[in-house]
Amino acid sequence: MTELVLKNVSRRYGNTLAIDKVNITVANGEFLTLLGPSGCGKSTTLSTIAGLDRPTGGSISFGDNVLFDAEDGTFLQPEARGFGVVFQSYALWPHMTVEGNVGLGLKLRKIPAAERNKRISEVLDLVGLGPLAKRYPGELSGGQQQRVALARAIVFRPPLLLLDEPLSNLDAQLRQQARVWLKDIQRELGLTTIYVTHDQDEALAMSDRIVVMRSGKIVQLGTPQEIYRTPVHPFVASFIGNANLIEVTGGAAAQAGGCDVRLADGQVIRAQTPLGNLNAGKQLLAVRPHLISCTKADNASEVAVEFGMENYLGDHFEQVVRVAGTEMRLSLDEPRPRGGGKIWIRNEDAMVFEAER
Amino acid sequence: MSHVTMTDMPHMPAQGAHFDRARLAQWLIFVVTAALMLAPALPILLQVFVDRPLYAQDWQFTLGNITDIFRSERVGQVAATTGLFAVFSVIIAQVLGISAALLIGRTDMPGRKLMGDVLMWPLYLSHLIFALGWVVMYGPSGFVTQAIAQQSSAPWNLYSIGGMSLVAGISQAPLAYLYCLYGAVRSVDSSLESAARTVGAGPLQVLRWVTLPLMVPSIITSTALNLVIAVETLSIPLFLGRPARIETLSAFLYGEGIASSSPNHGLVAASSLLLMMLVGSTLVLQRILLRQGHRYETVKGKGSRPMPLGLGRLRWPLAALTALILLVTVVVPISGIFLRAFTTFLSPLIPLSKVLTLNNFSKLFADEANIRAIVNTVEISLISAALGTALAVAVALVVQRSTFRFTGTLEALAYSPRVVPGLITGLGVFYAAIILPPMGWLRGNIGIIVVAYVMATLPLALGVIQPAIVQVSRDLDKAARTVGADWTGAMRIVMIPLLRPALLGSFILLFVFHLKSYVIAIFLMAPGLEVMGVSMLSLWTNGEVGLLAAFASLQIVMIAVLLVLARILFKVKIYD
Repeated sequence: MTELVLKNVSRRYGNTLAIDKVNITVANGEFLTLLGPSGCGKSTTLSTIAGLDRPTGGSISFGDNVLFDAEDGTFLQPEARGFGVVFQSYALWPHMTVEGNVGLGLKLRKIPAAERNKRISEVLDLVGLGPLAKRYPGELSGGQQQRVALARAIVFRPPLLLLDEPLSNLDAQLRQQARVWLKDIQRELGLTTIYVTHDQDEALAMSDRIVVMRSGKIVQLGTPQEIYRTPVHPFVASFIGNANLIEVTGGAAAQAGGCDVRLADGQVIRAQTPLGNLNAGKQLLAVRPHLISCTKADNASEVAVEFGMENYLGDHFEQVVRVAGTEMRLSLDEPRPRGGGKIWIRNEDAMVFEAER
Repeated sequence: MSHVTMTDMPHMPAQGAHFDRARLAQWLIFVVTAALMLAPALPILLQVFVDRPLYAQDWQFTLGNITDIFRSERVGQVAATTGLFAVFSVIIAQVLGISAALLIGRTDMPGRKLMGDVLMWPLYLSHLIFALGWVVMYGPSGFVTQAIAQQSSAPWNLYSIGGMSLVAGISQAPLAYLYCLYGAVRSVDSSLESAARTVGAGPLQVLRWVTLPLMVPSIITSTALNLVIAVETLSIPLFLGRPARIETLSAFLYGEGIASSSPNHGLVAASSLLLMMLVGSTLVLQRILLRQGHRYETVKGKGSRPMPLGLGRLRWPLAALTALILLVTVVVPISGIFLRAFTTFLSPLIPLSKVLTLNNFSKLFADEANIRAIVNTVEISLISAALGTALAVAVALVVQRSTFRFTGTLEALAYSPRVVPGLITGLGVFYAAIILPPMGWLRGNIGIIVVAYVMATLPLALGVIQPAIVQVSRDLDKAARTVGADWTGAMRIVMIPLLRPALLGSFILLFVFHLKSYVIAIFLMAPGLEVMGVSMLSLWTNGEVGLLAAFASLQIVMIAVLLVLARILFKVKIYD
């Protein structure tokens, strides 16, 4: 079974570690997303897989082939890896037609013209650009360019498809459509895919598994549901689902399960810790804005707060509440009057993590 | 389409062979560049420490050449003169160039476009031609001088350090103008100036407090370049200095190395080294001064052309003054060359109609050596411009777009000719052809001049090509790698076609540069190897001013035609 395996892959630029001992295994046919804020190392990781960047440590293998090994200095050049890559900028060659862009990979593989033309028109039909084969990239819209970039990457039937934020240059509506379309093609071709994005919605909607990265390290690896429902790190909770992070104090807890934490003003919130491993003292409480309720709920802690500013966001309001010298965001259908009030947080929605060192 | 695993991938590009090909190409480029740059430099260094010419037998190592230099009063005086001449001419060039950049690039002065074009003329012509024009019109027996001297005594003396500096300064003003115009005036975000207006600055105060300070890096860069050019220029000291026994380093080198019947090669090499150190320290100083560059970095604004500053009542007086300066310093000398070319004798005392003649041209074309010089020049310029552009793009791609291990060294090597004045490049190639066996076969054919030209102008070509490469996104060649092209393939299929306009620009720039060049080939001359510039220099030495003017007119026309053709056919404007 063909598997991509990254073992302790590191990339150092001078004194900074762009990626730090990253371990990932990608199964055949899987859609894996590298998710994180800019500068987290996700694009660097993708570049090392593509062979466009040479790691400074670790090893990468694909099936039986070693692509990179820091120990013995093995490094397979990108052209010898044969992976399809879609660049964030699309990187279409402006001096070649759509056909020329898509066909170069086949030409370099010395595929005869007849077969080549057949494959080019096949793949252009697949991405819905058949009639535009003779156009130049400069004559295409952003969405069309993005499709050419994909066609160019899959036309030579790569065993692995690498996508670096391919949708980030599209406007919001087009991005939604392209997401569905891209996922359909991936499923249809059964392509093993690694996808880099900073957009949590994209990641949740498309992936089989998500790797959340921060500062060059993997923070969590799991299915979209696992990542969203049971984040193992406050960063994951806040990055995916915009959870409020509040400093609290609490007792030690070795196992996962229920626990109590105390806000700075002494109010107690009944919560649960997904990992355990808590030391007594400073801890972090994560609560998602839309899970905070302004009406009494069962199995919930009641918290006295001060309602503040609201912002109208179209389908809902976001309102700020002040509590114990800090702020939380609430997602509400209707804003509450400013001033004193109460909110309820259900025990299962309040997640406690060890404070970040 | 179905999924195919890597092991049974059909038609995978061959792996090992491609890897080797790319590395091989990169090493080849490195070795060629290193050989080309070091072969001329090392013999000069060797000659400095050797007691007799390199081509003589039984030479021995000595420090005598260096002590000779420091002991020689003459060399000290020559160095002082060179310094004085360089500083004066740079001041003139910078003042004229900066004022022109501000006036032409920034204000509503009438006729600024035409005047900007006229200002560029000296840059397209060699110092030799420009100096000739000045001598013909403003020299002691020049047309204008004589016309004024009829009433009183001669109002000026062109054969002085002041006169030399003025001619050099005016011929280098376009360079300062260009750097300031494109480096600052045109590229500075106009909102920076608008911002100054909003806090209460008037138009002239904006120029004083915002525009001018932002030009500082361009001013420093062009000052350094002009200093280097002033130190190495030969024809101006030769034409204007020699009659008054004023000697600069370049004229001294020429006199000792070429004109003298028994050249003192040790002294020549040692003073070359002195000259290179002078030039090198100028460039080091420039780097140090530009270290604070970020203070002048401006976020480039897109689109909106800055509003030209209104000069108000000064509009017409300033335009008239600028036009007068250009007329006197550029148009008159160049017209003088054409006038002299078509006359037997040029004097305000004799009516023009009595001296008009085509004799100069028929004499020029009667001499087979002159025809040969023209043919050789065109041939050499074409080959050198093509080879030079090819080498420059190869070097630039390795430096900017490869993982080659010694890119830093390669770039330093490629730019090293900047510290080697043209005269010395020629000297170095001459020495190299004598002592290095593989270069021997170049002796006696145009190959030797081509080698010198390609070496001397590599930085110039890189200056055109490197910025163009920066404009091409790195993703474009990376993308080629991911679909199966190796490094050489990615460069050939993607980069070279995208760089075509820059390559054309570099080719034309080099072609013009070689066409007008006269300094580099001086030491490489041999019967049958004449080039226009050097032939013109010897016409001057032989006092054949009429012939020289005819030759110069011919060269001016050739260059003008070439530039116009380039503009029309390829839409290439050099120096943009």
